[in-house]
Amino acid sequence: MENALQIARESVIDELIQLVSFCLDHEEYGVDVLKVREIIRMLNITRVPNAPAYVDGVINLRGKVIPIVSLRKKFNLPEAENDKRTRIMVIESGSEMMGFIVDEVSEVIRISAGDIQPPPPVANGAIDVESMAGVVNQADRLLVLLDLEKMCSLDNSLHFDNAVN
Amino acid sequence: MPIDCEDQELLEGFLTESTELLEKLDDDLVTLEKSPADTDLLNCIFRSIHTVKGASSFLGFDLLVKVTHKTEDVLNRLRKGELSVNPEIMDVILEAVDLVKLLLSDIKGGEIQERDIDTAIGKLHPYLSEAAVPPPPPEPAFESSPNTPVAAASDAAEAPVTESPVVEPTTGTQSSIPAPAIAPSPVQKPAVAKAEELADNSTVRVDVKRLDDLMNQVGELVLERNRMVQLYSDFQRGIDPSGFSDEFGKLTKRLNFVTSELQMQVLKMRMIPVEKVFKKFPRIVRNLARELNKDVELLIYGEETELDRSVVDEIGDPLIHLIRNALDHGLEPPEERIAAGKPPKGTVVLSANHEGNQIVISIKDNGRGINPDKVARKAIEKGLVTEEQLSAMSAREILDLIFLPGFSTKDKTTDLSGRGVGMDVVRTNIRKLNGIIEIKNDVGQGSEFILRLPLTLAIIQSLLVEVEGEIYSIPLSAVIETIKVQQSVFHQLGGQEVLKLRDAVLPLVRLHRLFGCRGDSLGRDTCYVVVVGVAEKRVGLVVSRLMGQQEVAIKSLGSFLANLPGIAGSTILGDGSVALIVDPLTFVHCSDN
Repeated sequence: MENALQIARESVIDELIQLVSFCLDHEEYGVDVLKVREIIRMLNITRVPNAPAYVDGVINLRGKVIPIVSLRKKFNLPEAENDKRTRIMVIESGSEMMGFIVDEVSEVIRISAGDIQPPPPVANGAIDVESMAGVVNQADRLLVLLDLEKMCSLDNSLHFDNAVN
Repeated sequence: MPIDCEDQELLEGFLTESTELLEKLDDDLVTLEKSPADTDLLNCIFRSIHTVKGASSFLGFDLLVKVTHKTEDVLNRLRKGELSVNPEIMDVILEAVDLVKLLLSDIKGGEIQERDIDTAIGKLHPYLSEAAVPPPPPEPAFESSPNTPVAAASDAAEAPVTESPVVEPTTGTQSSIPAPAIAPSPVQKPAVAKAEELADNSTVRVDVKRLDDLMNQVGELVLERNRMVQLYSDFQRGIDPSGFSDEFGKLTKRLNFVTSELQMQVLKMRMIPVEKVFKKFPRIVRNLARELNKDVELLIYGEETELDRSVVDEIGDPLIHLIRNALDHGLEPPEERIAAGKPPKGTVVLSANHEGNQIVISIKDNGRGINPDKVARKAIEKGLVTEEQLSAMSAREILDLIFLPGFSTKDKTTDLSGRGVGMDVVRTNIRKLNGIIEIKNDVGQGSEFILRLPLTLAIIQSLLVEVEGEIYSIPLSAVIETIKVQQSVFHQLGGQEVLKLRDAVLPLVRLHRLFGCRGDSLGRDTCYVVVVGVAEKRVGLVVSRLMGQQEVAIKSLGSFLANLPGIAGSTILGDGSVALIVDPLTFVHCSDN
């Protein structure tokens, strides 16, 4: 169903897409607004032992326990103190939810699907290419489109299973 | 061939009804074999098959009609006394019923496949032709007419025209309208009664009284909430702070009472009798017994015992496995039994009952029991243990070897068992349900497998502990005792920290090290040891502080964080923060290796 929608979206090149843009170490990123369930302020995070390093822990989101990933850690960016602009973006994938810590959520922008370019082949090591969905080149701004859903997909969790054992 | 059915609702109704009828049928057929004189039962069986036949001919499922038609003919002859019930007839009838189930599941799946129905029908034939009078062909057609109301009442658009001659009279009656007159036909009655035990798992039938009780409790909860709101507004207006504390204390107590009642009520609604699983077994046992040429009696007790539906769904396969084992490995062939001075008929007792917060299911046979020497020999042969390890083992530990992956005492692999995947899987499944499995063994007299399962998977009693400022929850079912000790009394034994506890030596696991907690409170001398145990094994978990006992609701960590070593899940504490639930099993196993 979702795939069908995506295909439908892709087929109409001029269709407008809404992105939530956010900051991470002074760089701008974006995610599809339809994937974002909510954006919340920092909560008390419970550390989870033996989880991969980029998983900060779990939080209680109105009775549901969801894992929280630090995008800074995930992308090997220098760690920063949480401040009043730090937010958790809750992404929904299937029946599960997952939170991502970002420095700051800026705005919702509209772009046409034609503005999305495939990710450049440069793998500078910081962002893993797999979670990069594309690059948006619009007038004076350049932002990296992320597929956070992919990050919480199952193969990823399998990955870290192996890492733990 | 995809199914072409105009009325989806009608089709679903047919599937639900037929599934229910067939489920009951298995059980009835096995009972019939034991008491062949029971004409009521025979009639009931006949009607069930007949209903399935009528409905499937109406919907145009030719294959189903052919099979059920022949089965019905054989049953009819039994009913008339032209044949008498014997195991051979039951075999073919049961086979035919299996075929019907297969065809039904094809229909459920949405695709009708070409199935070989001739073999089963061919087996039914001898019982039809043996007679002096061949079964009169018009008879089944006549018989099917009282069934028409089922179809007519369900308000179908059109009866599909099929080539089967059986159908034609059916369609005929329908057009000539006498159908509604016989509407409350006996055919429909058992179907209505059986609708109680819906095979569908996604819906729940709840007793209206339970629902009313629940509503009452919710009413009370609302009342308490109103009091709370009132109390808060009084407090804000600055009325008597000492009175507030009193009132608030009372309110807490009442709220506590109401919510625990509510919890019990909801829990009860999720409970279903274990009968749902147990009723499959008479049939399985019968078939196995015939295959193995053993004479077996299955006794079932406590099938009304209720447990959580999530547990019921998971427990079927392990039980089937244990029953197979009891029949295949446990019970001896009749000659051997007689030689051993036992009655030739073996007994398998399947029972369920509540014990405190647990449900206990036991499978007991009076066969040869498990021979520890044989188990030990096989384990060495298969390279699962070494001689040295074996010599250090207690009798119970030797028996536990049968749970090792790859273990089998069967010399030959049969259809049933001997591939050495069984008990390992059984134990894993039971563990997944937070349950334990025990063996009681009496060589020569039989063995008993006891499963202890929690009533529900959703809420557990737990012990909250603090490890370097982090809070963890340990399932109370695994906690044996807690001790406050000075770390100076810990000993080192081969690189393993141990504690001398009374006469035993307890291996210790430092939770803060395993979980990588930061902090140094455990550098201080006093700490607490939580002794956890599974079966006979004990491990001490070293923690900083005990916080108390609490009932907690288990929350899944999701697939992303599944399978973390040592963590079974999470829960939400009173202050809204998340605490992780420790999985004591992992530690007990860690200390093994």
